[in-house]
Amino acid sequence: MISFKNVNKWFGDLHVLNNINLEVEKGEVVVVCGPSGSGKSTLIRCINRLEPIQEGELIVDDMKVHDKKTNMTQIRAEIGFIFQSFNLYPHMTALGNVTIAPIKVRKVKKEEAEKLGQQTLERVGLGGKAGAYPAQLSGGQQQRVAIARGLCMRPKIMLFDEPTSALDPEMINEVLDVMVDLAKEGMTMIVVTHEMGFAREVAKRVVFMDEGQIIEIAPPEKFFTKPKSDRAKLFLSKILTH
Amino acid sequence: MWSFYFSELIHSLPFFLKGLWMTVAVSGLSLIMGTIIGFIWGIIRASRNKILRSLIGAWVDLIRGTPFLVQVFIVFFILPGIGIELEAFPAAVIALTNLAACFICEIVAGGILAVPSGQREAARASGLSAYQQLRYIILPQAMRTILPPLVGQYVLLVKDSSVVSAIGVVDVTRVGWLTVQRIPEGIMVFGLVGILYFVICYPLINLSNILERRMTVVATKL
Repeated sequence: MISFKNVNKWFGDLHVLNNINLEVEKGEVVVVCGPSGSGKSTLIRCINRLEPIQEGELIVDDMKVHDKKTNMTQIRAEIGFIFQSFNLYPHMTALGNVTIAPIKVRKVKKEEAEKLGQQTLERVGLGGKAGAYPAQLSGGQQQRVAIARGLCMRPKIMLFDEPTSALDPEMINEVLDVMVDLAKEGMTMIVVTHEMGFAREVAKRVVFMDEGQIIEIAPPEKFFTKPKSDRAKLFLSKILTH
Repeated sequence: MWSFYFSELIHSLPFFLKGLWMTVAVSGLSLIMGTIIGFIWGIIRASRNKILRSLIGAWVDLIRGTPFLVQVFIVFFILPGIGIELEAFPAAVIALTNLAACFICEIVAGGILAVPSGQREAARASGLSAYQQLRYIILPQAMRTILPPLVGQYVLLVKDSSVVSAIGVVDVTRVGWLTVQRIPEGIMVFGLVGILYFVICYPLINLSNILERRMTVVATKL
């Protein structure tokens, strides 16, 4: 479904992605973790070309993302992207937020899109908030609307860029619950997160990154109990001591 | 003597109203066209096209850094030298439209750039085209920042339009100049000229204040 082959990317002199090789299969859930600045956000931002790559091959759903001639609109419509800071449209209601892309990109009729939007909001537990503006919602609710916004495009892949990092602790679970449900329904997901409970419950593999490189790929149980690399051990000792 | 001049002035009122109409016509036309052009320039100025962006930037700086009177003279007296002959009215409208477009361009670009970059990213990630991102996500949010100073700018431009009297457009200011030669009571005559400008500008000033208040309320609600 997603295939990185020898992918390299630089920000000026900084080698943010260093020879990345990674295959993600349909229906697979992959958790990406690593210290800040390790390139994990950049990795998933490349998948829908929010960031272009400079070298290598990146193929998503049989389409060449590395090729500048590829029309990204079509690929982006197939990929839901969830941001750390939600990025809901503040001038639109929750329902407006989740229906704008289906109406404008997929050309779904307004009534149909609104029906789908209402259903999707119910799915993330926010059926009663369709008319609310983002500012009237809590952080956890906003992030769930953002997930619903992604789902309304009926995507093949969902990407999550630290979806719970900007949330108050008591709101993290309501978002993770929605993500767990999605994973169990067979959605292909790549999740940048340090939520180890989530990784243990649904991830098939954990990808550990440091300084732009993939250091280790392992099933969650193995990674959290017996990491192979020293850098992973160091990282885990830092995040697990609390 | 004073009451004689006053009644003379009352008799000249139709002349003043004609001038007022000319001021409204010149500034109205220029503001409409200047707003359209200013939005287009502003959108380009906030875009990623480096060449067009700096071209417009240079033009805006040039226009903002030179007196409007000089610009009006260039359009009216110097363009005929290279074969572009214009009547006073179109010359005035062209010069004022350009001035309006330059100021509005900066307001629009500022408003667009003030929208958080995450908004554009979210719109881009969902597959919206560049035009759709602008139309449905960026501009509606930018308008909150743009509207109050835009209307404020209209007030300044209406007043700036008095400069076009220098090339013979018979606007309110010109009517004042012509009248004061018959009625040598400067305070009275130009007092009336001032009142007539104020009649146009005051509603705009109010509108700007209302918009400012409303947009702040909306912004805090968001």
